[in-house]
Amino acid sequence: MEPIRKEEIDDQACGSLAPKSKPCPRPKPGEAAGGCSFDGAQITLLPIMDAAHLVHGPVACAGNSWESRGSLSSGPSLSQYGFATDLSNNDIIFGGEKKLKDSIDYIAGRFAPPAIFVYATCVTALIGEDMDAVCKEASDRLGIPVVPVNSPGFVGSKNLGNRLAGDALLQYVIGTGEPELEASMGVNLIGEYNIAGEMWDIEKLMNQAGITLLSRITGDARYKEITWAHRAKANMVVCSRALLGLAKQMESKYGIPYFEGSFYGAKETTYSLRQMAYLLNDREMERRVDRLTEREENRLSHDLRPYRKILKGKKAVLYTGGVKSWSVISALKELGIQVVGVGTNKSSDEDVQRIADRVSDDTEYIPEGGASRIIKTVRERKADIMIAGGRNMYVAMKEQIPFVDINQERHKAYAGYEGLLRLAKELVDSIANPIWKLASSPAPWDKEDSYDR
Amino acid sequence: MSKERMNIPDYNTLFTEERYVQQRENKKQFEAPCSDQEKAEALAYSQSAEYMEKNFERKAVVINPHKACQPLGSVMAALGFEKTLPFVHGSQGCNSYFRSHLSRHFKEPTPAVSSSMTEDAAVFGGMSNMIDGLENAVALYKPEMVAVCTTCMAEVIGDDLSAFIGNARQKGAIAEDFPVTFANTPSFIGSHITGYDSMIKSILSQLFDRSGQTAAPGAGEEGEKLNVLLGFEPYTGNFAEIRKILNAFDTKYTILGDHSGNYDSPANGEYEYYYGGTKLADVPKAANALGSLVLQKYTLKKTQEYIKGTWKQQVSALSTPLGVKATDKLLEAISELTGLPVPASLKEERGRVVDAYADSHPYLHGKRVALAGDPDLLLGLIGFCLEVGMEPVHILCSNGDVEFDGKKWKEEVEALLATSPYGSEATVYVGKDLWHLRSLLLNDPVDLAIGSSHVKFAAKDAGVPLVRVGFPIFDRHHMHRNPIIGYQGALNLLTLIVNIVLDQLDNNESGFGDLVR
Repeated sequence: MEPIRKEEIDDQACGSLAPKSKPCPRPKPGEAAGGCSFDGAQITLLPIMDAAHLVHGPVACAGNSWESRGSLSSGPSLSQYGFATDLSNNDIIFGGEKKLKDSIDYIAGRFAPPAIFVYATCVTALIGEDMDAVCKEASDRLGIPVVPVNSPGFVGSKNLGNRLAGDALLQYVIGTGEPELEASMGVNLIGEYNIAGEMWDIEKLMNQAGITLLSRITGDARYKEITWAHRAKANMVVCSRALLGLAKQMESKYGIPYFEGSFYGAKETTYSLRQMAYLLNDREMERRVDRLTEREENRLSHDLRPYRKILKGKKAVLYTGGVKSWSVISALKELGIQVVGVGTNKSSDEDVQRIADRVSDDTEYIPEGGASRIIKTVRERKADIMIAGGRNMYVAMKEQIPFVDINQERHKAYAGYEGLLRLAKELVDSIANPIWKLASSPAPWDKEDSYDR
Repeated sequence: MSKERMNIPDYNTLFTEERYVQQRENKKQFEAPCSDQEKAEALAYSQSAEYMEKNFERKAVVINPHKACQPLGSVMAALGFEKTLPFVHGSQGCNSYFRSHLSRHFKEPTPAVSSSMTEDAAVFGGMSNMIDGLENAVALYKPEMVAVCTTCMAEVIGDDLSAFIGNARQKGAIAEDFPVTFANTPSFIGSHITGYDSMIKSILSQLFDRSGQTAAPGAGEEGEKLNVLLGFEPYTGNFAEIRKILNAFDTKYTILGDHSGNYDSPANGEYEYYYGGTKLADVPKAANALGSLVLQKYTLKKTQEYIKGTWKQQVSALSTPLGVKATDKLLEAISELTGLPVPASLKEERGRVVDAYADSHPYLHGKRVALAGDPDLLLGLIGFCLEVGMEPVHILCSNGDVEFDGKKWKEEVEALLATSPYGSEATVYVGKDLWHLRSLLLNDPVDLAIGSSHVKFAAKDAGVPLVRVGFPIFDRHHMHRNPIIGYQGALNLLTLIVNIVLDQLDNNESGFGDLVR
């Protein structure tokens, strides 16, 4: 890994490298915008499964968002409950601090969570609720951490919310506990949310290599394990767009080195495992990782053969955010698929650089959203498949384009070696489905009849 | 496909494999979990009557809400009009939630834009966002009308929509004659149905005012037409059904707010942003109609008042017409408004549904049911249950709060329940959430729950099968394509419910069991 320059560490602006750092792009009025900072903060912290997550605001902020992410839990499910203070007209005028305090008390009393995260919303920020004070008071009185997350929707994009959630973890959680086990070999995973159980596949690989996963930040996490994240020997940033700032700050505050990696595709997976072993500075472990990755890659290569035959030469348009914007390209390349168009809307500068390293020169970059823009690329480049998230899925269906969902609502895990196999199968299934032939051929009465007249 | 078929389990089965189970067990050593016994005790307590009492005393926090907010309803309302772009004035995330929410229900794209307000807008007001937003949105999406609704943020800082839109015209961001309708829809009041109502009323009144017409009910060519308003309608199939019924009557009509096209568009190779909807030119003309038929009277409160007051029209207001009796009332209302007799085809259809009821009644009789949903839908569902001999036990309406005339609604529900001995067991809960429902299901068990996908967790905890009816339905496909209103809808509901009961019978059976039901 390259040594990290001091100015990079200091640069917290949106995880971009100095000097070409740019702030999170401002949403443009009049477009179909993506999620807000509240959304971003919540999805970053919701995978802390045993904590209670209380939305301080109108009930619909919780009502519109609860139970819609595919972050899986191996045990506790408290984080899946939709808690809201339900501010109404009167509270807007007279303030909702009493309601907040009572809500925290109720949750602490009835659900006994190890911690409560309290989210600001547009409303509470605008009416000037002193959430920090209420949380601190409740925390002292109840003896459990009550963490304010100051990320109201209007401060900006979803990505900014991810970062603000990272700040809350750094300020209130990380460093407040000590691991019970000897953790000299521990690695934290940052920005991995266990969508469809991907974390479990990764964890399995780490276990096989003998690498301790110290804290999950935050996929399938328990509150307690995040309190001791500062004892890790290395950090791996999985989604850099979301939480690179957290890794940088942990480096400057606790001296924990980090690297950015991914588990999409065999090469990226191997690289990530090797990087971990390297940073842990254990020769024996490096040898173990080498043996493991070689074995897994060989096995995968064999298993993938029938899929590669079908996928070779196919073209894809990829529209996703963060780490997936570049790492899925590697995965697709390994399957023989050429990426002819790629979205860069939610990618950091480094992400874009990584995309550039992985695609050919004539690949089209799609900097802004909007279904029509993506569709246009698919059409012009004669792509065989579109790979994107749920909001674009139904447009693809209208346009009769084979589609694979790789965002938060999917039910299949694509990380690691086995994940690539699953992705291959999913791609083949989607392209091969007879519906596309049916959809694109005209009805019999519209066909030109070559026999008569 | 290929011979090398691979079996790829999803996470439900994949992670039950031994190695993953072992991994999770290992993990427990550092999460300091409760013992299995403690867990069992806590679970048992949460299911107890004592806990239920405490749960119902809860005042401070809402747990698992069962409602969405006003602007979500407004977006749906706006999509009911020809080439109309919903424009959400406020911070951007709200719009994103509405688009995903509606798309997840209908499995269709939802075109809607936001003015994306940020901190500077919080300090200086959202005017420049509105002006830029209107200019950009019109250039990008080429609508023929923009329908602006507000989020909490714009409401809290007190943005003046009318003035802002006026300024946008002055500055040339949009043309003078380009229609921009608007409604104030703060999320801290009411719910999605309030927002639907506000936007429909705004569109009707603002397009009517612009036209410079005067209302003359029953006059001219339009005087033979009927206005029909379905309300916050999660079923595209219901639009088709009401059309079928009106066509059978051979009456002319205008549906005011028809989003069925937008949410049931064909996959023919090219996605357009706008599909169908009520023609903008038809809106002012609707003021001359014979009368208006409203199918969600608690949802469309302001709209009804407007039609009665300003358009001076006769309004026939019903709740969602579910089941035979409610459909009878619908046909009577159409008959009364138009002066036309009930057509023979519908009479025959009624007979067939009654026959189907009779066929299924042994499996439905005395089944205890919990219901959760919006006010008008609940009235329809209760009516349906009573006429097939099912007993509503818990009736939960999260969004029937004070602003919604909760009291009046409750009285009507109770009056409806009192018409039948099957209604005697029922209790109505207004403004309660799904955590309350969970306690109810656990402590006073029922045979079936009827409600949206969100009810599934409470139902699962209590081991009660859920019949998915209402909004949102995220986890089942195509439910919204089949009508639930009218006689055909009654038949669909009956089929859905009785087959879930029969599934249960089969599942509980050992061995081969019964083939004939």
